[in-house]
Amino acid sequence: MKMNADRFTLPTDDYLAETNALFYLSDAVTQLLEHREEYTQFGIVRYFAEYFTSVKNGNHVLFREFSYIKATPHNRASFIHIFWKCYRQIGKNGDLLTVLEYSSLLQLLCPDFPAEVVQNTARIVLMDDAMDCLMSLSDFIYSFQIQFYYEEFLESVLVIYEDLLEGKNPNTVIVPTSSSAEPLSSTASEDMDTQEGVDSFVFLECIKGLCERFKHKHPSISAIKEVLEGNPRVSYYSFLMALAKHEGISQDIGALPNRSDLLMDPEMDQELERLVAQVAISPTSNSSSSAAGLKEPPKKASPRKSLHQRRRIEMESDGSTEETDSSEN
Amino acid sequence: MAEKRRSGGGTVMPDSKSVKSESDKEFLSQAGVGVLLRDALLKLVEARSEDPIGFLAEHFSNLASESESGPVGGGGGDGGEPQENTVEEQQQLSRALWHLSLAHHSQRSAFNNNIRLAYDLLTQCGSIQRVPGGVQGRIYTEMLQCLCSEGGLSGTTAAPLLRRIRCHDYEAVPFELFRQGVQTCTAFADYIRKSQCLYAAVASRPERPAERSLCRAVLATLEEALDTSHGADSARFLEASAKISPAKLAQAMADVRGAGEQQEGPTMDAREFEDAAAALFIARVRVVI
Repeated sequence: MKMNADRFTLPTDDYLAETNALFYLSDAVTQLLEHREEYTQFGIVRYFAEYFTSVKNGNHVLFREFSYIKATPHNRASFIHIFWKCYRQIGKNGDLLTVLEYSSLLQLLCPDFPAEVVQNTARIVLMDDAMDCLMSLSDFIYSFQIQFYYEEFLESVLVIYEDLLEGKNPNTVIVPTSSSAEPLSSTASEDMDTQEGVDSFVFLECIKGLCERFKHKHPSISAIKEVLEGNPRVSYYSFLMALAKHEGISQDIGALPNRSDLLMDPEMDQELERLVAQVAISPTSNSSSSAAGLKEPPKKASPRKSLHQRRRIEMESDGSTEETDSSEN
Repeated sequence: MAEKRRSGGGTVMPDSKSVKSESDKEFLSQAGVGVLLRDALLKLVEARSEDPIGFLAEHFSNLASESESGPVGGGGGDGGEPQENTVEEQQQLSRALWHLSLAHHSQRSAFNNNIRLAYDLLTQCGSIQRVPGGVQGRIYTEMLQCLCSEGGLSGTTAAPLLRRIRCHDYEAVPFELFRQGVQTCTAFADYIRKSQCLYAAVASRPERPAERSLCRAVLATLEEALDTSHGADSARFLEASAKISPAKLAQAMADVRGAGEQQEGPTMDAREFEDAAAALFIARVRVVI
């Protein structure tokens, strides 16, 4: 959210646009109107103070609608952070969950969180293969971060990727290189066809062009370069996976700690145990009803049943692992 | 109250949208939300805060605590206990300092506006009867102290300046003096930071103190730059910046080097350099009586 020094030379409108201040102000007013009775009693100025303090601290996105959570980069990062805070325990217990289960977890924090985003995340984790596999929290969360934070960017990258796969070159600038590469590929075309993906160098050039259009909403070009330089050829999902694993990109977003610290935070442990217990007990009783009301049609009929069974087993095993933990101590 | 209740009930009963948006508008204007937000936006645009959301949070919190604690100093007449007063005073003081921290002093108009806000805040606080002509001398001096320490100045560096520009506790500080005091302190803090950089550059190696002769040459150049002749402000600024240009400094240092050859001369430590630079500045602070 921090801005650089040239904010003083920007025109007023540009400054405000860059800060998203108007977005938050109008949302604050909308919220105020929805809960006017409550907030008038509370004190309207105090309400605005609380609103902006919570935006600043990043807990403003909790239980809000998806369109709000997605609206600004700050909101997205805050949501990723909250997801981590709430469900870190799952990673600590070493539980592996399915797409549907992650979807339900997200819907506990944001009731209309679309399953599509979760599925796209799973495609990154599982490299678009065996989509009913179980995923660990740390695999899931870094991929989720990339998918959710850079969603629009990734969509455009996919378009480029598919164009490249079909042999179309979306970037006219690099036609010479690709034409010079063509004779090679024609001789080795059989190998190429069996090989996954596209030429990393061409891909990188195309993405650079894309980044210019995306202003700030893309991972830093140097990070993308690092990711692509390792391999001469790259597939879309291996590229996304590498982005998800890149620590520099994660640091730029600033929502999650490094992978090695993801599950370590002794300070928060105690508080979280209490929190997770609350979250785990109260919403599971609703989740039977909310799961039935899920908007997306379940792809298979069986996972839903197993989800509930699994959930119940988890609850029990949760308790048992905690017991063993405490007995160890 | 009765009106409010009626409009509140109105929203619940009819479902038609036009009535709702009508009552929304009514509610917002009655609650003064428009004015509240306009003021906040104006402040934000003026300050151009680096962290706008933090700015708005702070702004509304300040407003809320102001309105909750009531008009400061007014309330209970002479019933105000001295302890409560100092708590309020500290709040006002930190609020004033917050305003002053929003813009760098080189952002002239924004900074001047913030000084005005800080001044208005501080004129409202103090003992039971307000001093008519401005901010109480005691609060003024305390604020300058805070400004210096926020600017990263050590107590010993700031002390000579503060001795020079402080006021007696019973004096009232008018706005112009207040403004100059604030500007002097913030400029001084910047100046000291710059001179520390200058020393580091002269020392060239952080573990070894700088040579005394080089330091002297630099300080002399600095002094000369500060002693610009009379004339229009803009001309003096240009003259001064020409005199302190890197080329001039390098020349002054080269001259000393040429004369003193390569012997390991006496050295000057960072503290002494800083004090000498500070003295140059402080000597040029005019005291208004």
